[in-house]
Amino acid sequence: MKIIKSLLAGASLALVASISQAATSGNTLATVDPEADRSAMQSYFQKRFPQVALSDYVNGIYALDAPSREQWQSIEEFPPYEFDIEEGEALFNKTFANGKSYADCFANGGIGIRQNFPRWDASQGKVVTLELAINQCRKANGEEALGWKKGKIAQISAYMAFTSRDNVFDVQIPNDKAKAAYLDGKQSFYARRGQLNMSCANCHIAGAYIKIRADLPGPTLGHVTHFPVFRSKWGELGTLQRRYGGCQKNVRGVPQKTQGEKFRNLEFFQTYMSNGLVVNGPGARK
Amino acid sequence: MKKTISLVAALMMVSGVVAAHPFNEAFNEQRAMYGKGHSFTWNGQTYITDHPEEIAAAVVANAANATALLAAAKDQYTQVLAVDFGWTLTKNLLKSAGKALETGEFRKSMDLSAQAQYHSRMGIAQYHQSQAEWIMAVPE
Repeated sequence: MKIIKSLLAGASLALVASISQAATSGNTLATVDPEADRSAMQSYFQKRFPQVALSDYVNGIYALDAPSREQWQSIEEFPPYEFDIEEGEALFNKTFANGKSYADCFANGGIGIRQNFPRWDASQGKVVTLELAINQCRKANGEEALGWKKGKIAQISAYMAFTSRDNVFDVQIPNDKAKAAYLDGKQSFYARRGQLNMSCANCHIAGAYIKIRADLPGPTLGHVTHFPVFRSKWGELGTLQRRYGGCQKNVRGVPQKTQGEKFRNLEFFQTYMSNGLVVNGPGARK
Repeated sequence: MKKTISLVAALMMVSGVVAAHPFNEAFNEQRAMYGKGHSFTWNGQTYITDHPEEIAAAVVANAANATALLAAAKDQYTQVLAVDFGWTLTKNLLKSAGKALETGEFRKSMDLSAQAQYHSRMGIAQYHQSQAEWIMAVPE
């Protein structure tokens, strides 16, 4: 019994110490500072890989690993996503049964706007990703929602990204509710999960450019800029949140819901980290 | 004695903050090296490397016990899913435990239920640990 009491006392002290340390570290709505986070993230990678230009992070692991870059450049000579862009354009321009189209749902007719997503939607009180906006557009016009991870939604998203290439990501956090969503996404990014007890950060910050079996994980900086991607492993195009689910399965965790609040907030955080980088999607990855 | 040991082990694993305690490190090391059922001494006390779920399953293998263990494992799984920290293998463990129960393989069913319940308990502990410690991983 003495042991149990000692252990509980120790646990209490450790908990108090942990909370007091974290209270000033950006884990509360009062202390979180997205710009400071972004600056710290970029600074981390620039210190670790000083030879890599910040703008090159949009190329993911190919910014860091020369042999992989060479292979990727060969693939990009005949981009595997090329037909998907064409198909995406056709789908985007196809009118709905009511005579309207996607262009009626988005600013600037949906052209060159990828860099503004995900965005905080004040009227809905939540983060809206590009794929969510596409399906919301469909539903608003009496059409069936598309599946979230691949196929038509990825093609439409790919076309919209293509029309936005070289536009600079500019995700905004306009109020405290948006900041809370950002904080939730930040927490998800750093929280270990699954039987392998790993977080996104384990592979894509500390583990970036360090082999996991035969693979080299890419840096999180610039991660979102090239989605959706044609992944050789998939043999087709897929969305960012399809990849999120795959990552969570890889660490033997039950994947969270695609386009659920957790994944949307994670995408919000991760995209904010890449603010200032350009859109270069769709991309090709291994 | 067994009750004390399993209580201590349970307390150790409930919170991630506690997980960093030297006892847990010793327990995990001994468990990794020798598997379950191994005795070891820590701070003058003798412990065994069994998880609480394994201790709970170390009873007579019959339909009633297997049913109760499976129900407890399913309940724990519901709890871990509620905090969104489930592990992928757990669902199949529960399924296999259910099948074994149906075919009268009570020992197998009880062992699988114990494993599933352990997974879920660890998932819940991981959730609490993540809540407390995620900020430590943020680059400054």
